[in-house]
Amino acid sequence: MAPAFLILLAVLAYPILYTVEISFSELDLATFLPSEWVGWDNYETVLTDERFWHSLKVTGIYLAFAMPLQMVLGFAIAFLVNAEWRGRGLIRALFLIPMVVAPVVAGGLWRMMLDPLWGITNYLLGLLGVGPLDWFGDATLAMATIVLIDTWRWTPFVTLIATAGLLSLPQDVFEAAEIDGANWWVMLRHITLPLLVPIIAAAFVVRWLGAVKMFDIVLASTLGGPGRATNVINLFIYQEAFRGLKFAESAAMSVVVLIITMVLTAIFLRASRQLEARY
Amino acid sequence: MLRHLLHRLRIAGSIAACAVFLFPVFWMALTSFKQQRDVFTSPPKLFFTPTIETYTTYLRFADVPGRMLNTVIVAVGAGLVSIIAGSMAGYALARIPLRGARTIGTLILLSRGVPPIALAVPMFLVARNLDITDKHITLILAYCTFLIPYVMWLMRGFFKSLPKELEESAIIDGCSRFGAFFRIIVPISLPGILSTFIFSIILAWEELLFALVLTNRNAVTAPVAVAGIAADMLNGVNWGALTAVGTITVLPVVFFALLVQKWLIKGLADGATKG
Repeated sequence: MAPAFLILLAVLAYPILYTVEISFSELDLATFLPSEWVGWDNYETVLTDERFWHSLKVTGIYLAFAMPLQMVLGFAIAFLVNAEWRGRGLIRALFLIPMVVAPVVAGGLWRMMLDPLWGITNYLLGLLGVGPLDWFGDATLAMATIVLIDTWRWTPFVTLIATAGLLSLPQDVFEAAEIDGANWWVMLRHITLPLLVPIIAAAFVVRWLGAVKMFDIVLASTLGGPGRATNVINLFIYQEAFRGLKFAESAAMSVVVLIITMVLTAIFLRASRQLEARY
Repeated sequence: MLRHLLHRLRIAGSIAACAVFLFPVFWMALTSFKQQRDVFTSPPKLFFTPTIETYTTYLRFADVPGRMLNTVIVAVGAGLVSIIAGSMAGYALARIPLRGARTIGTLILLSRGVPPIALAVPMFLVARNLDITDKHITLILAYCTFLIPYVMWLMRGFFKSLPKELEESAIIDGCSRFGAFFRIIVPISLPGILSTFIFSIILAWEELLFALVLTNRNAVTAPVAVAGIAADMLNGVNWGALTAVGTITVLPVVFFALLVQKWLIKGLADGATKG
């Protein structure tokens, strides 16, 4: 027990406290140490920075589209994958592959596939009479692009959790209901959904914990562009800190983001536990 | 009859979905064996004379072997530290009656939501002041921030599912808590420990942000190399380099993931759904 907590204190708790300290200070770029205590100045700068709000908004849009899409797709594919036949194990194993492709590689390889001129996606869409689409040049399409790449990378993860969850559903309940003459709507509404809710909630929380860290895929595909259209908050803070060397302001942004994330995570955890208790 | 058809459709659907999800990886590997003139064609070429030119060119050019070695050192190192520290702590949380064990559990789960960027800034500053940037050990410690909570959580659930009588009888026979843990619990939990270990390595293997921030020459990892190629806005993306380095980066983890797929699937699913 002790070693884990010592390491976690050193590499998790200490950096967080240090971020808070920097966020209230001015950072001396000669020594890379916080020098003067400036109170809420950095927060004021950050909270009046329109770009910061824009990045939060972009992150929100990404989450609002990607999360539901991946949950629905993940569970739908899990339903398909769970069909009993000889190849089921193989299919499940193969679904592991996109999951272990490094997100930065995923971003890069999709950047190639979605290339407006030479990419295979536009070629295939062209066969259907669609396009050519400028996946990285148009603000709306660029957002769709990162949602698409993220969905490709993470849906198999949801599928995996969902397949296990669906397989663990008690089969006898369904059989009993069928014998009692329940139709499929009643079965779905009163048996399947209530049984599924805890699994959906758990998958949602786990996916959320990963989705708020969105960074690699954007960096490797759109780099936040065009303009700032896909500049998610993690990328924005990264650029401000390590390209702009505005460490103090970045620290203040990190603290704001940390608080937002923690509050939302706590809410989701609570909600998921309540759902589990209710059903 | 209808039921039979539905079953067939489900199977066909699952195969189709699998193919769609695998295609990008296949396409990347395929492109890595193309010559420049076969890459930029319309329609895209499925058949061509394969070459390993891209590999021989870019592997030396981008010091890929060196970066792969760094990735291996860092990933295995971080995996080892976190599996040892994390499974001991997970055991303690699962078994030793502690006041606030539930709160600690919630805190661990919450800590998995900490955005890495909030840690990257102070870590960079501290590492710079201690003059330990660009070292493997720094990256290993940085990866513990997300690996240890993850391992603790998975292993806690795993140990909870074991019958208590196992170590109780060992302790009655004169084993210490530690003795019982190492002689009884660890051996029977080996599959769980191993799959968690491998997944930790995979997570560390593909990490980008910390590696980007904490390394610049000696300890640079493969994902950083990929990011450098993909985010090269000046010269445009070098597809040959991207696909070759990307394929090499992905290949080892795909191999390991498939090797232990049964444990991995079970471990991941349990870790996500059992609290």
